[in-house]
Amino acid sequence: MTALDVAQTSEQPTRAPAATLTPKMAERAPAAKPALPPKVQIRDLKFYYKDFLAINGVTLELQDKAVTAFIGPSGCGKSTLLRVLNRIYELYPHQRATGEVLVDGRNILDPGLDLNLLRARIGMVFQKPTPFPMSIYDNVAFGIRLYESLSTAPMDERVESALRRAALWDEVKDKLRQSGLSLSGGQQQRLCIARAIAVKPEVLLLDEPASALDPISTQRIEELIAELKSDYCIAIVTHNMQQAARSSDFTAFLYLGELIEFDETEAIFTHPKKRQTEDYITGRFG
Amino acid sequence: MAEIALNRSAEAPRSSGFDKVFQATTWFFAILILVILAAIIVSLVLSAIPAIRRFGPGFLTSAAWNPVKADFGALPAIYGTLITSFIAMLVGVPVAFGIALFITELCPRWLRRPIGTLIELLAGIPSIIYGIWGLFVFAPFFQSTVEPWMIDTLGNVPLVGVLFEGPPLGIGAFTAGLILAIMVLPFIASVMRDVFETVPAVLKESAYGIGATTWEVMWNIVLPTTRVGVIGGIMLGLGRALGETMAVTFVIGNAHQIHASVLQPGTTISATLANEFAEAVDGTYRSSLFLLGLILFVITFIVLAIAKTLLFRMQQRAGT
Amino acid sequence: MDRRAAIATAVTIALLGLGIVAFGRSPLAGAITALPLIAAVWLWAIWGGLSPYARRRATNVVVLTLSFGATGLGVLVLALILGDLIWNGLSALNLDFFAQSTPASGSVGGGMLNAIYGSAVMTGVATLVGSPVGILAGTFLAEYGRGNPIAPVIRFINDILLSAPSIIVGLFIYQVMVLRMGHFSAWAGSAALAILVVPVVVRTTEDMLNLVPNSLREAAVALGTPKWKVIVSVTYRAAMQGMLTGVMLAVARIAGETAPLLFTAVNNQFWSTDMNSWMANLPVVIFQFALSPDANWQRLAWGGALLVTVTILALNIAARLLASWRSFSR
Repeated sequence: MTALDVAQTSEQPTRAPAATLTPKMAERAPAAKPALPPKVQIRDLKFYYKDFLAINGVTLELQDKAVTAFIGPSGCGKSTLLRVLNRIYELYPHQRATGEVLVDGRNILDPGLDLNLLRARIGMVFQKPTPFPMSIYDNVAFGIRLYESLSTAPMDERVESALRRAALWDEVKDKLRQSGLSLSGGQQQRLCIARAIAVKPEVLLLDEPASALDPISTQRIEELIAELKSDYCIAIVTHNMQQAARSSDFTAFLYLGELIEFDETEAIFTHPKKRQTEDYITGRFG
Repeated sequence: MAEIALNRSAEAPRSSGFDKVFQATTWFFAILILVILAAIIVSLVLSAIPAIRRFGPGFLTSAAWNPVKADFGALPAIYGTLITSFIAMLVGVPVAFGIALFITELCPRWLRRPIGTLIELLAGIPSIIYGIWGLFVFAPFFQSTVEPWMIDTLGNVPLVGVLFEGPPLGIGAFTAGLILAIMVLPFIASVMRDVFETVPAVLKESAYGIGATTWEVMWNIVLPTTRVGVIGGIMLGLGRALGETMAVTFVIGNAHQIHASVLQPGTTISATLANEFAEAVDGTYRSSLFLLGLILFVITFIVLAIAKTLLFRMQQRAGT
Repeated sequence: MDRRAAIATAVTIALLGLGIVAFGRSPLAGAITALPLIAAVWLWAIWGGLSPYARRRATNVVVLTLSFGATGLGVLVLALILGDLIWNGLSALNLDFFAQSTPASGSVGGGMLNAIYGSAVMTGVATLVGSPVGILAGTFLAEYGRGNPIAPVIRFINDILLSAPSIIVGLFIYQVMVLRMGHFSAWAGSAALAILVVPVVVRTTEDMLNLVPNSLREAAVALGTPKWKVIVSVTYRAAMQGMLTGVMLAVARIAGETAPLLFTAVNNQFWSTDMNSWMANLPVVIFQFALSPDANWQRLAWGGALLVTVTILALNIAARLLASWRSFSR
C-alpha cells in the first residue's frame, strides 16, 4: 500500500491543480492535512449515456477527512460524476465509464470488482429522503445486518452511535420501533445519513442532500456535514453555491461535462482562475 | 475497520451467489406462464385430433348434432356464440359508454368513487349468479311482458319481423345476449373510463374554453384521442363475452339449432361443453367437444390478441 | 316551423292510416310500427326550427340524459340482482344451512356444509399455489424484465390467460390430471383454479412493484445490498399492500368460478374431506340445484348464491379498502 502511495504522490506535480494545491495547503492548514495522500483519485474519467458523452475526461482528487463540493449548472455532470464513485449507474443499461478511479490506490472501475463490497465502503445519501418501509431501528440496522451478525446489545450500540452521529438520536430514541416514514422530511434525511454511516464507510457521497428540505433542516444537515468530515472523505453535489462556500474545503466547478476549475474552496470563491468559474459564481449564468 | 473488512469478505460472496438463484427462480415462474398456455393449446389439439380426422373442415359448417350416430357439427354452437356476443356488444357498448361518460364528465366529484365501486361490484358478481338470476327472474319477466309485445309488434314488421318470431319462451338467444350485456358492460365501462382519463386535462379544457358542450368535447376530442383504446376495451369485452359459460348456459335453451329468430333457443360453444361433457363417454363425442373447445379458444385468442395490441398502442401514444 | 309542422302532421296521418290498413291482422301492431317513423318525422320538424346553438344544446342534453340513464340502469340492475338474491336466499341461510350437508333429491331441509368446505379448501389451495407463482413471475417482469425481449411476450400471454374462457382451463386440467389420475379430484379442481389465480397475481404484482420509486431501490443498493435482498427486504415491503390486494382480488375471482370445476372436482352429495376424490363446491351445487325441479334444492341454491355473492362482494370491498389505506400516516 505504501509503495503505491509513494508512486502516486510522485505523479502529482505533473497535474496543475494538484501542484497549486499542495503548497497552499501547507501555508494555511493547522491540521495535519498536507502529507496525506488523496483518498480518491479520478483520472481522465469519461462517462457515456449510450453514445452521449456526459463527462469528458475529468481528473481530480478527493482528500480524506475533507469535504469536496461539485458545483455547476444543471446538466453539467456533477451528479453523474458522483454516481460513478459508487458505480450505482451499473443498475441501468447503456451507461458506462472509462478511465480510472482509484480509492486507496485500487481502481474501482475494474470490472471484476465486487460492487456490493464497494458500496459498503462508499456510502451515498440521495436528494430525496428514502427511508425504507420499516422501523427507524431497522432502517439503521439494515446495512449493518448485511455484513455483520451482531447480537442485540452490540447492534443497539451501533444503531445508537450512528443516530447520535447523525444528530437524530435525541429525537427518535423513544420511538425506535416506529416506522421511518413517520418522521419529518429533515429527520428522514438524517435517518438516511445515519443509515449510511452505520456501516462505517470510508467515503460519503452526498447528492444534493438538503435541496428537498426546508431552510432549518438544511442548516442542521450542513452542521452535520461539518462534524462528519473529521471521520470521512466527503463529496457533496450542490447547486447552492453558498452551501458549497460554507461547507466545503475543496470545490470542483463543472460545466457541460468538463472540469473547468478545481481548487480550495476559498480560492475558487475569492479569486477564481477561469472566467467561466467567475461568471457562474457571480450568477451571470446557471 | 479491518475486522469489518474480514467479516464482509466472508459473507458477501454467498449473497451474490443467491442473486443468481433468485433471478433464475423468477425467470422460471415467468416462463411457466408461457408453458401453461402452450400446454393448453397442445392438450386441446391432441384431444381434438380424432374429431378433426373424422369430420375435417366440414365440422365448421355442419349443423348436425347426433350423439347416437356420432355425427357432430359446430355450426349451431358457433352461430350461437357469435349471435349472443353480438347482441351483448350491441346493447352493452352504448350503455358502457354512457356510464364511462357519466363517471368522467358528469359525475360530481364526491359521487365518483361510490359509483365507480358500484360498477366494479357489478363486474365482480360471478357468472353463475347472473345465470340463476337470469333464469328465475329475468327470463320469466321477459316471457310475460317484453316478449309477447315484441312478437306482436316487431314480429309483424316486414323484413325485421323474422328476427322476432316464435312463442314467447323467455329463454333464448336474445335473453342470453342481454344477460351477457349486463355482464360485460361494467368491464367495458371501466376500461373506457381508464382510457378517457388518460386524455390530458388541458386538452379538454381548451375545448371547453372555446365553448364546446360536454358531448362535443367527448365526441370531437376525447373519443378520437382514445379511439384505439376504446376499441381495445370493446374487444376485451367481446373476448369475455365469447367465453362466458354459466350466465349463458342457464338461459340459452340448449338446443342445437340455428334459427333466424333470436327469441328461439339455441346454444353456444361453452354452454354445449358445460351441459354435455359429463355425458360424453364415447370417443368421437368427447373429441368433438374438445374440438369445439379448441375453436372457442382460437376465436377468443385472436380477439384478445387484437385487443391487447390496440391497448398497447394506446398506452404508447399516451406515454404511460 | 309552421311549414314543417304541417308536413309532419300530414305524414303522421298518412303513416297511421297506412299502418292500420296494411297490418290487417293486428292494427295495433301497425300503429306501433308506424310510431318510430312518426317520431322521426316530428323530430325532423322540431329540429329544423331550432337555431344551430339550440341544436347543440339539445344534442348535449339528450346525450347526457342517456348517459345518466345508462348509469342509473347499471345501478338499478345491481340493486335488482342483490335484491332478488336477498329476497330468495336469505330465508335459506339458517343454522342448518351451515351445519348440514346437501340433501338428497326429494327430501326436506339440509344445508351446504360440504359445499362450503369444498369451496373454501379448493380456493385456499389454489391461492396458496398460484400466488407465489404469480408473485415471482411478476417480480421477474418488474425487476429483471427491463431490456429482456421475453418480458413483453410473457406480459401479452399473461393478459390473454387472464381473459381466457375458464371452461377451457377446466378441459385442460381434465385432460392432464383427471384422465391421468383416472378419477376426478379436489386436487384437479384446485389446479384449475390455481391457473386462474396466476395471471391476476402476476398483473397486480408487476403493477405494484413498478410503482415503487427507483430511489428506494438505489438507496438500498448504495448500502451494498445484493439485488435479491433489495427486492425481498425493501421493494416487496414497499409494495406489500398492493400485492395483498392483488391476491384478494384473485380469490374473489375464483370463488365464484363454476366452469373449471365441472370436469375436475365435479360434485359430491356427501360430506367429504378427501382431496383425492370428488368434492362438493358451492358453484357446481348451485348449478345442479337451480336447474332441478326440486323446490328444496332450488331454495338451497338461492341461499348458496347469496352466500357466494356476499363473500365475493366483501372481498372486493376489502381489497379496495386495503389498497387505499394509508398505513403510515404523516
